[in-house]
Amino acid sequence: MVGAEEAARLDRLEIQVENGGGGAWEYLCLVRKLKPRRSDKVLKHGLAILNDPKARSNLGGEEWTLYEQVAFAAFDCQQHNVAKVFSLSLPLPLHMCDCVAVLSKEFPGSLRVGRLEGMLLEAENSWAEAEKVYARLLEDNPLDQIIYKRKVAIAKAQGDLKVAVDFLNKYLEIFMSDHDAWRELAEIYVSLQMYKQAAFCYEELLLSQPTVSLYHLAYAEANESQCIEYSGFIILLFLRFLLTAFIEQVLYTMGGLENLLTAKKYYASTITLSGGKNTRALYGICLCSAAISQLTKGRSKEEKESSDLPSLAAEALLRDYKYRAPKKLPLLNSMLKNMKLSS
Amino acid sequence: MRFGFMVGILGGFLLAHAGYATIQYRGMLKIVEEEFSCPPMNVVIGLLLGLALCIWAALASPAKFKSIHPDSEENRVVSLPANLDFMIFNHRGKVFPSNAEFKLKK
Repeated sequence: MVGAEEAARLDRLEIQVENGGGGAWEYLCLVRKLKPRRSDKVLKHGLAILNDPKARSNLGGEEWTLYEQVAFAAFDCQQHNVAKVFSLSLPLPLHMCDCVAVLSKEFPGSLRVGRLEGMLLEAENSWAEAEKVYARLLEDNPLDQIIYKRKVAIAKAQGDLKVAVDFLNKYLEIFMSDHDAWRELAEIYVSLQMYKQAAFCYEELLLSQPTVSLYHLAYAEANESQCIEYSGFIILLFLRFLLTAFIEQVLYTMGGLENLLTAKKYYASTITLSGGKNTRALYGICLCSAAISQLTKGRSKEEKESSDLPSLAAEALLRDYKYRAPKKLPLLNSMLKNMKLSS
Repeated sequence: MRFGFMVGILGGFLLAHAGYATIQYRGMLKIVEEEFSCPPMNVVIGLLLGLALCIWAALASPAKFKSIHPDSEENRVVSLPANLDFMIFNHRGKVFPSNAEFKLKK
């Protein structure tokens, strides 16, 4: 989890390194620790270090880790020529045919280098060969987590999201505590619009890491989207069964209302955990309150609970925008007025 | 920080001195064959003073304490790490012109 201070330090180091000040190695170490996806910068500065023999010899044993990091960056930036040389883990420019021979010479039978080979094939879109390489590696190391994840990535890259979901489910049956995998599964479910399953995955994440505000936010959004799903369902039902729809409508609206209430609760917990600075959560509270008051319009007045939460959230949003983006303030004002009018 | 360190050393020295004085006092009581009820008053004062100095030094001399609240300004989670294990390379970055400078030299 990237804290505010660490993110600020990363940005500062990046600006410093871009403008020619030193500290490239420190920047690369921080990128390795925080795992943001900054492949172009890593490639540029990593190559600068590796092409300088003095800087390279200063690194000592860390040199190979840097090779691996720059190889990933090269895959991401599609610089296949660089990547091929890196998969050798040797500081010599080599022709393509010699790659495999020298690789087996330098780190013979190494799992990490084998994975890099597989990823190189993936980056060149040769999916079948990459799968062959991974199957071979899995025979020798049947419990390697990263190879299973790469198989999921292959399925995802080919657009086969259902297959990716199957693979991920099988993986999670074995490695239940891998929260990165749960997160990935949740994101895939959201992109497939299966919000109930996505909410389940986020619940697993919330259980294992309850203090990360972003999981609360994602869970709230999954719940809110679930309610919208229900509302669409209501309209469908009403069109199909004119008479009996009334009863079912109430039930499904209840389902939608419950989800909205849960969503509002989790938006509120996101705000608590992030010290009030999470703009998306503030918006979420305003929208949820507007939707809830619209849903409960037909009900009796006793059920309506009045709370200051939406107005406080609106106030916090206005203050934030005034400070950070004053030009967009009129947009925000008009939107908030609309919500207060309709609710 | 140096001053805090010195104060800490002084506090530790006071405590050691108080301990030594108590041992000597007990030895003396054994000679006089009286019961040991509590150390003499000045040793107790030295003990309390040493305690206060050590606590002050322990809190003041290390560097600034890090915040432990998850919602404090430094600690709040700003973004999650990109899931690099599931990274796919099949993105629109392919259409960027490849930079010929990016070569590994000998």
